[in-house]
Amino acid sequence: MPQGRAVNLAFYIVRRVLWMVPVLFFVILVTFSLMHFAPGSPWDQEGKQLPPNVIASLNQRYGLDRPLPEQFVRYIWSAIHLDFGLSYQYENRTVLSLILTGWPYTATLGLCAFLLIVPVGIGLGVAAALRQNTRTDYVVVGFSTLGASVPNFVIGILLIIVLSVDMNKWTSGAFWLPSGGFGLDHHLIMPVITLSVLPITYIARLTRASTLEVLRQDYVRTAWAKGLRERLVVVKHVLKNSLIPVVTALGPTFAFLVTGSVIVEKVFVIPGIGSTFVTAVSSRDYPMIVGISIIFALVVAVANLVVDLLYVVIDPRVRLT
Amino acid sequence: MIGVLACGPGGGGTTTTNLAKDQVLRYNIGVEPNSFDPGQQQYTYEAAVGRQAFEALLKPNKDLTDVEPATAEKYEVSSDGLTYTFHIRKNAKWSDGQPVKAQDFVYSWQRLIDPRLGAPYNDYYVFKGVDAASKLKASDPADKIDGALQALGLKATDDSTFVVTLAEPAPYFKWIATLWNGAPIRKDVVQKGGTLTDPKNTWATKPDTLIGNGPFKVTEIASKDHVTLEASSNYWGGAPTLKKMVFYEISDANADFAKYKNGEVDMNNVPLANTDLVRNDPQLSKELHETPQLGVRWIQFNNTKPPFDNQDVRMAFAKAVDRDKLAKDVFKGRALPISTFIPKGQSGNNPTVGGDPQKFDAAAAKDLLKKAGVTSLNVTYLVRNDTANQQIAQFIQDQIQTNLPGVKITLEVIDSKTVTSRLRQKNFQMYHGGWIGDYPDPQNWFDLFKTGSGNQFSGYSNKQYDDLVKRADVEKDAAKRKDLYDQAHAIIVKEVAGAFLWQGKNFYLLKPYVQNDTITPIDEWPGCYFSKNITIGQH
Repeated sequence: MPQGRAVNLAFYIVRRVLWMVPVLFFVILVTFSLMHFAPGSPWDQEGKQLPPNVIASLNQRYGLDRPLPEQFVRYIWSAIHLDFGLSYQYENRTVLSLILTGWPYTATLGLCAFLLIVPVGIGLGVAAALRQNTRTDYVVVGFSTLGASVPNFVIGILLIIVLSVDMNKWTSGAFWLPSGGFGLDHHLIMPVITLSVLPITYIARLTRASTLEVLRQDYVRTAWAKGLRERLVVVKHVLKNSLIPVVTALGPTFAFLVTGSVIVEKVFVIPGIGSTFVTAVSSRDYPMIVGISIIFALVVAVANLVVDLLYVVIDPRVRLT
Repeated sequence: MIGVLACGPGGGGTTTTNLAKDQVLRYNIGVEPNSFDPGQQQYTYEAAVGRQAFEALLKPNKDLTDVEPATAEKYEVSSDGLTYTFHIRKNAKWSDGQPVKAQDFVYSWQRLIDPRLGAPYNDYYVFKGVDAASKLKASDPADKIDGALQALGLKATDDSTFVVTLAEPAPYFKWIATLWNGAPIRKDVVQKGGTLTDPKNTWATKPDTLIGNGPFKVTEIASKDHVTLEASSNYWGGAPTLKKMVFYEISDANADFAKYKNGEVDMNNVPLANTDLVRNDPQLSKELHETPQLGVRWIQFNNTKPPFDNQDVRMAFAKAVDRDKLAKDVFKGRALPISTFIPKGQSGNNPTVGGDPQKFDAAAAKDLLKKAGVTSLNVTYLVRNDTANQQIAQFIQDQIQTNLPGVKITLEVIDSKTVTSRLRQKNFQMYHGGWIGDYPDPQNWFDLFKTGSGNQFSGYSNKQYDDLVKRADVEKDAAKRKDLYDQAHAIIVKEVAGAFLWQGKNFYLLKPYVQNDTITPIDEWPGCYFSKNITIGQH
């Protein structure tokens, strides 16, 4: 019988990865069924309709004239071979290539936002908890409430108006942020801020609540009584314990960020896959819908796995079973 | 050509020769084209690119009164109206320098009918043999399909002569020859992307293989961000002055407008909400260009079921809507009220046809409803779920409920594809929609209300109308044709095939340095039909 934590860890990871297979199958099954239940076909248009013989040709091309169970089995078979089909909307382009083209933008944006959210959210939360009921606390809580109440497209558009259009006017074109588009430079500033505001607010609140609870614990009181410096108490004794619920929340937060915000991508014209998903649903682009759902399920599963592994690092009482 | 833009609703700026160093035009088309293959394109945002990278046989003149030569330098029609002979310019070239041949048109037009392509516009190409070919299925054996395509009335008698034989005479066929999806396609170019009829063929997805014969060529496709086109030096008319065009794919109208104000794009289709702002702004109002659209919207009723199977009820509804108020309040002047079918600017336009029975008259509307024996009525109004359509529906609902007491309308706002699906199944009572002309010939409009037409869902059917339109579509004498269409027009207006409400208007902003831009009512973007003339002044 193999011994040692490292081997335990390896087995745990392998088991979790194997579990992803039935989960993905289930996700595909549910998505497939739901999208075919939605009324309307991919070929229904708003103005001029497609001629009936063209509709028949298209249905034949994409196998939509076959019974649903047969379509499902064919899809699973192709998916196993990493062939996720052709998009109905974007002729001649495969779902995989469309996802691979768009995802890097979404993921970069999401990653930058995450890298901003973690220190700022946790930092604000800890600061508020340590200075409970002082001005710092009120500012943080007030900002959190405001940030959570203003919809992110309002924040986005306000940023564009102030930092792009108005700044252009005030500085006579000398310095202003571009109103949209993607770039690994100042183009990122406004979309990342917009994407980060809401998550920062709830991470801050969560951290604050959790830290407050830990601060009341006896071992923390002991640390204060021993005369330890605040920084030492916080980092060595408080943080590790207060971060457990925060890490739990950060898992799905990361998943959502990295799979895209439709609104931010639309307002800032980022060619990512967030808006692709919504467009795919309204155009009934079935292969795209399932393809993106698979990606999303994978990202959530991996994020949850990472979170579970992080628990082991943070809290030695947690054992992998 | 510089200097011919005194008339018409177009033109931005004077014909100065103070050219900017960078001849670049930037515009937002709003949506990423689903395809760059002209045969598979159908939407305006696709034609925006397709019409620049490819060129059809003919093109409309700037007044839309007739066609003028494009890739074909001239054409003849046989006396029986069945044979069209197009002479391809000897100096017409593809962007890679190869000459454009008649065989390229034969291949492209066969391809449009090929069931393995599934071209959206294939019902417009009415040559001999199309009826038989349209019964083919994509799964039929390849030689059967190829045989039927070869039997179509399309021939290249030599490299520069393309002969089309129609199934029956069609005076409007010259306009079909202006459609951008009838552009030539080269077989060897398509083969660079894979096998000819394979849906995975990638020739139209990459700039290297997307070889067209238009004044511009696609040089960059940045998915969901923009498409870049550059001047084609091999174009028969000489390279355009514009060196580059960038079409952005910004779906948010406010972001687009912000870009225009920042000078990041050079033209803008003004968002409805900003209409008054633009009109009242001293700078922006000078940059505004208004053109009527060749598009009309109407209330479509389900004529197959009560209550709208009763013509009097339909007419009562038609008379109960104040179209002037609609144009002013909802559209802020960006619409022209209309109570007949054919829009202003389209031949066949006749505001008094049939005595204009649908014009707004609340008292007469009430009387009609009484005459129909209706005292109270509950109607559901199917609406597509975007803001603009909802606003329009709310206005119409309010007008009818106010002017026809006893009528209660409930709005059903649903996602677009579901709406179309319900319209197809005739599972609706009333809905508003319309038509934008594909080309400026009345045939494109009047065919809409023929029995069995697939492009409107009222179920309207009138044999006399069908007969008149059938005769008018093939009538060669212009005066007789107009008379036939007028008679047909009177019928659908009197019988309320639809309650015609408004004609759209385009509001474009053009920066003052965009010069020699000829705007027509059928533009995909301002000046698209005459992009070769556009110049950018210093700024």
